[in-house]
Amino acid sequence: MSVDAAAYVGAWPFRPIEGTVADLAGVMRANRVRQAVVSPLDGFFYADPSPANRRLLRRLAGRRRIWGAPIISLRMADWRAQLQALAEKRQVRAVRLAPAFHGYKVAKAQEAAELAAKHGLTVVVQMRVEDERHHPPFVKLPGVALGDVVALAAAAPRARVVASAARLGEVLGDAEHIRQLKNLWLDVSHLDGLECVKQARDAVGARRLVFATCWPFFYARSAVLKVDEAELSARDKAGIMMGNAEAAFGLG
Amino acid sequence: MIIDFHAHPGYSENLNALRAEFRPALRAAKHHGVDWICLSSLADWKESPAPAQVRKGNDAVLALAADHPEEVIGFCYVNPRQTDEALAEIERCVVQRRMAGIKLWQACAANDARVEAIAKRAAELKVPILQHAWYKTGGNGANESTPANVAALAAKHPETIIVMAHLTGAGERGLADVAPYPNVSVDISGGEPEAGMVELAVRRLGARRVLFGTDSPIRSYGATVGKVMGARLTVRQRNLILGENARRLLAGRLGA
Ligand SMILES: [Zn+2]
Repeated sequence: MSVDAAAYVGAWPFRPIEGTVADLAGVMRANRVRQAVVSPLDGFFYADPSPANRRLLRRLAGRRRIWGAPIISLRMADWRAQLQALAEKRQVRAVRLAPAFHGYKVAKAQEAAELAAKHGLTVVVQMRVEDERHHPPFVKLPGVALGDVVALAAAAPRARVVASAARLGEVLGDAEHIRQLKNLWLDVSHLDGLECVKQARDAVGARRLVFATCWPFFYARSAVLKVDEAELSARDKAGIMMGNAEAAFGLG
Repeated sequence: MIIDFHAHPGYSENLNALRAEFRPALRAAKHHGVDWICLSSLADWKESPAPAQVRKGNDAVLALAADHPEEVIGFCYVNPRQTDEALAEIERCVVQRRMAGIKLWQACAANDARVEAIAKRAAELKVPILQHAWYKTGGNGANESTPANVAALAAKHPETIIVMAHLTGAGERGLADVAPYPNVSVDISGGEPEAGMVELAVRRLGARRVLFGTDSPIRSYGATVGKVMGARLTVRQRNLILGENARRLLAGRLGA
């Protein structure tokens, strides 16, 4: 059993990728994923992600194990009010920030991280979605530096911060800082390379990693098999697949 | 049967260090039920290695294949810029030592005239060429093949069996480039496990022209096996991709 810390519904504009809640539920069943934290793909591309968030929450209504992580743009003047309104929704456990897509520095997110913490929400910082080498020529979007997310977690110690879509090299590079932070988690969606999960575990400790698929952008099966292959101890595996995410997102 | 058509031994230069690096790859492959690993050196991982480096890399692959005769089969890496040495290395590794394929990387683009002699020899020996290719938004390396370059090579040498590496790097455009040439297949190695790509390759090329490969140690076995197991495929298509196509292309060179 597991918690998927990064799944999406909605459409990706550059390839025919579309995730529906029904498909997500099927993918969860097929991969023994018990709970998922879900954001709207469309929200990355809207100046104001609110309509995408509203659509997401409408679609998630009545789904007991699928939690919302709406996307907030800190370049919207009313982001504080948006965050507060989202915090009142039972199904919202996190907000997802996409500084690269919306055009601001991660350091700007400190107040948002603190406000989210005050409302019991986790902050997820999206480092990338698509491989930078495959971006359409008219949208070349550099990824977010993991060091900036680490600095955010250090600056807002009461906040719970999840760095989403870090690569293995980035994790190994910042491992020493990451190990010291108890309020920062890394999702495994974009870890790759031989023994990637084992290497990340050795570098930052099993408690800092959370299982995530990046479905429907990635095959969910890839994430499952990647963790499975690491042949971790039962305790480490249970933490990465479920327990750590329960702590990171305050799930029961 | 599962055959990893595209893997490298590791990053080390020294054979014993490579042996240690390769051990976890074997373990991961076994974990997922991979029966055979087609291993190719990339010499010193530089764009255009010297002949001595090329030989040293192939020697390491021969040693690993000798260490693991039931699991590893060697592909011969050559640098087409040194055409005579490349042909001699093919004689040494493929003819004399029974390596099962030829690996080309970034020393020359696939449509470079210096690749032609190698393509001809591969056809004579009936061994596949595994050719790196990618479409990179920021631009390819100076001598890095695009799928269009691979298509040009395939058009000129219809008798040569070509496996174009890196499905996700090729993307929709790359599949369209090579679709008209039945002597080209694509491996699913490299890149992230972007959903829908395997199904797209099957639609564009047919399941008989899609091969499982990891690009280990750059990519993980789990993520790559997940591309096939996560794709919407029939059991027949899945078996072709995982191993039957590779077995057909390797034509009896698996095992003793
Ligand atoms: Zn490779």
